[in-house]
Amino acid sequence: MMDMKTMNMPEKKVDDNVLIEIQDVSKHFKVSEGILKAVNHVNLTIYKGETLGLVGESGCGKSTFGKVLMGIYPATSGKILYHGKKDIEITKKNLFAYSKMAQIIFQDPYSSLDPRMTVGSIIEEGMIIHKMYDKKRRQERVYELLELVGLNREHANRFPHEFSGGQRQRIGIARALAIEPEFIVCDEPISALDVSIQSQIINLLHDLQKKLNLTYLFIAHDLNIVKYISDRIAVMYLGNIVELATSDQLYEKTLHPYSKALLSAVPIPDPDKEASKKRDILGGDVPSPINPPKGCPFASRCPHATEICRQEKPKLEMKQGHLVACHHVKK
Amino acid sequence: MSKILEVKDLHVSFDTYAGEVKAVRGVSFDLHEGEVLAIVGESGCGKSVTAQTIMKLNPMPPARIVNGEIILCDKDIVNATEKEMMAIRGKDVSMIFQDPMTCLNPTMQVGKQLTEAIRNHRKMTKEEAHKEAIRLLELVRIPNPEQRAKQYPHEFSGGMRQRVMIAMALSCAPKLLIADEPTTALDVTIQAQIMELLKEIGKKTNTAIIMITHDLGVVASMADRVVVMYAGKVVESGVARDIFYHPAHPYTKALLKSLPTTEMSRDERLVSIPGTPPDLLNPPVGCPFASRCKYAMKICYEAPPAEFEVGKGHHGSCWLPHPDCPKDQAGGEQ
Repeated sequence: MMDMKTMNMPEKKVDDNVLIEIQDVSKHFKVSEGILKAVNHVNLTIYKGETLGLVGESGCGKSTFGKVLMGIYPATSGKILYHGKKDIEITKKNLFAYSKMAQIIFQDPYSSLDPRMTVGSIIEEGMIIHKMYDKKRRQERVYELLELVGLNREHANRFPHEFSGGQRQRIGIARALAIEPEFIVCDEPISALDVSIQSQIINLLHDLQKKLNLTYLFIAHDLNIVKYISDRIAVMYLGNIVELATSDQLYEKTLHPYSKALLSAVPIPDPDKEASKKRDILGGDVPSPINPPKGCPFASRCPHATEICRQEKPKLEMKQGHLVACHHVKK
Repeated sequence: MSKILEVKDLHVSFDTYAGEVKAVRGVSFDLHEGEVLAIVGESGCGKSVTAQTIMKLNPMPPARIVNGEIILCDKDIVNATEKEMMAIRGKDVSMIFQDPMTCLNPTMQVGKQLTEAIRNHRKMTKEEAHKEAIRLLELVRIPNPEQRAKQYPHEFSGGMRQRVMIAMALSCAPKLLIADEPTTALDVTIQAQIMELLKEIGKKTNTAIIMITHDLGVVASMADRVVVMYAGKVVESGVARDIFYHPAHPYTKALLKSLPTTEMSRDERLVSIPGTPPDLLNPPVGCPFASRCKYAMKICYEAPPAEFEVGKGHHGSCWLPHPDCPKDQAGGEQ
């Protein structure tokens, strides 16, 4: 959806396509051992109508980043500017206005729905909070939303425990859509679901995006699905974005050594391809985000790491058409 | 190659307050030395129950083996007593689980746990067992095994814990290793490490492996043969290449098609399987997949389909290939 020209736009000039500007955002947590740097100096632009995939391993800060973007966690430093129906900066003060435009779908469809509320009241709650419509119209909207996500209106009076995982995720989507948002953070919406149900939800999210002109930040660790659903993909490691490119480019010409290892580690459901594939198996584990290394975050596991990598943190720069943070990728 | 395990027409039920849950309903397969067999299916299809029954790990009651035979190393273990099973577990067959943290004792040094397992089955002095434990930790590629053996499970990362579990499972050189979703809780780069390790160990020690998973990518990279389960039944089984390139059962076909490939463009829709699996409290009389199958005929709802042979060693359970089935029904790719 986005060509490289728009990606190259200088950051200062806001064009009409930009929905969210994330400027040097960090999120640190104070823990007893020191400071946990979950998200480090992230700069990112999200465009209207696109799906931005965010991938990385557990503990890389991707979910924290999603929550910072939703205003659930206040950022430790940096600025997030939102240019939707209203132009606002995402701060605690603006959170109520912002939550009318942005919503989140959670990973676990079991713990994210209140077991004591009926499905209808779960979906309606957001509309009541934002004083949308009168009671009768809200009821109609609940029915419409249930049908939109592939459930039926009789389900409104039931409780969450009566539904399967896939159906609960549909309820979660209906709740997010109830207040007519423009932007949705999908935090691993399918990883708790079975394979045959995953494709149902992916297709639903895809259709809704087209119908309602939504913008998604799609957080996941399943790279095949991210490739399929995203226009652009950002790869995150230890709280830093290490590579950002359109999804085709990222797969065709992977630049960062971590992205390469991540892509080659994903098993492909095809025995011949699996047998012939050369795997770059990464040794070791992700270092702790508490007091992380001062150089490149990936240096301790990188097969190409040299002295400069351990000393100096690489900047996220435009190289060969990708934004990539690595000392050893040529311009 | 000698046969290690043969499961014949296994039925396992759980007696609950709501009634009898028929979790496994007639599963048969066999396994040879050094072979990797994958059992694939969605949650609740009975794949884990099948594996746990081979180890007889399900508490009985509520679990009950209704019917069937499990022949492990030429011995039927269905009627084995708990004492006999204690000798079999660990020595002939051992198991690794999805979540290594809950399977290790948090209050005991990793090396101690290993030597304990070794000395339970083998006559060894403490020193010998300790040496063996270090050798096993080396085998599963844990760096600095001497020091690591003195640490507690919480000092290990998820991938390292899974390696300890594998070392423990291998401690008595079992003929069969059952891996129940061993990589589901791990990250992809760690998953790749563990899969590589399991493959290597299978080759080195000629241990047969049963790999239980829902991830078809893992299956493609590891399995020699595949058993596809749905609602407590085997719907298709065969050599991995046959299952992936010539799937015969509509469920297998749909499952393979529902995965996005890296070549797919965004405008192509994923094939999805409508509906959800049946409730095993009241399993359907006919084919369990009938209600979600787009080729379902009247007979599919009325009688369970017979097994048919697709090719050599490749079987499926479906009514479509039946000689009396009209050709326009069976024909046409999905």
